Amino acid sequence: MSASAVFKPSRIDGRRLRSERTKQLIIEAYLALLRERPTTPVPTAAEIAQRAGYSVRSVFERFPDLHTLRVAAADYGLAHAAALAPARDVDADRPTRIKSQVETRAGTCERGVALWRALTFNVDEDDALKARLRFARTRTMERLEIMYQPELSTLAETDRRNMLITLEALTDMESWARMREMHGLSFAEACAVWIRAIDRMLPPTPPQA
Amino acid sequence: MPVEPSHVSDTSIKKPMRIDGRRLRSERTKQLIIEAYLALADAFSPRVPTAAEIAEKAGYSVRSVFERFPDILTLQIAAVDYAMAQVTALAPPNELEGDRAMRIRSQVRARAQVCERWLPLWRSLIVNQGNSEELKDRIRGSRERVMGRLEAMYQPELETVAEGERRQLVIALEALTDVESWARMREFFDLSFDEACLAWIQAIDRLLPRSATDP
Repeated sequence: MSASAVFKPSRIDGRRLRSERTKQLIIEAYLALLRERPTTPVPTAAEIAQRAGYSVRSVFERFPDLHTLRVAAADYGLAHAAALAPARDVDADRPTRIKSQVETRAGTCERGVALWRALTFNVDEDDALKARLRFARTRTMERLEIMYQPELSTLAETDRRNMLITLEALTDMESWARMREMHGLSFAEACAVWIRAIDRMLPPTPPQA
Repeated sequence: MPVEPSHVSDTSIKKPMRIDGRRLRSERTKQLIIEAYLALADAFSPRVPTAAEIAEKAGYSVRSVFERFPDILTLQIAAVDYAMAQVTALAPPNELEGDRAMRIRSQVRARAQVCERWLPLWRSLIVNQGNSEELKDRIRGSRERVMGRLEAMYQPELETVAEGERRQLVIALEALTDVESWARMREFFDLSFDEACLAWIQAIDRLLPRSATDP
């Protein structure tokens, strides 16, 4: 085996790593621009490139168009949301579970609303985005089911489904954004709105829980 | 009273009528352009139709469109005002005086009909508001009207709680009955109109406190 054959794989890995790192920085630049300007969720390639510290050509070498970048950002955002929002206090009493679920969801909304808008505003153009939005909503519903399992278990199937649908509507990203942007509520005040509403909406907790 | 012919020329008699006729035609043209915009925005939602598409739909030239509306944003604003006036005018009456169950049912069905009818235009407005303060004001105004309606409908229940809690409940009710909440029930969860109404009715009934007159 020649010396070049021994060294070649590690050179390729280094390149790949650098390329992945560049992709990562471009995605992060895109997300940072979204957060800074949540009502204009379409940063240009030039803006993204400048923010990431690369050329526009470098952006388009990694992402052939801005849709591909948006989809990659969605995957990155979903992975981040999952990592930063594990289910906590699943077996706790009712007030603790409600508080825990609300604060976790509020954190996700606070961090994710800019990206969420960028996805929902462009969803009709791309089925890949639709699939990711569906996945995000399904995950929210699953979390609600886990957190409120004792209360939901007391309901008939249709009522349980309706309850989950309306809990998801109540705790939607845009519902959070309106409390913060339109009603001018603080993080804690907005959490209090959700906590009170969920406590009212949920049926009584069964005694064995 | 008849006008004295010796003091007023023929042209001065006819002139005001000619100006009125022109103004009427111009207003009619504006109206048709707005209606064309709304029809296309509804069909293409959330994409904003182009000036050429609007002109073709209205049966005028692109120049005619821009003579009445200096840019598409001005047309969008006029169209939103027109649509919102229609929403108010066409909204089914609410049963303010009925018992709790009747009021909830009435409010939900009225809201559901508005959401069903106006979803594409609302979506287009939300997506295309950009940095326009005029469009943002109209979105805010629309939400405030919905909240005002909720407060009026559920006044007997809301007056049983303190002001802070009342505000929280109205915010939660507005979130629950948002246009996109309705859209998700219909598009994502595939519920029928009546099934979606039932989900809202159940949730509102749980959310609202009992009033003094409730059984």
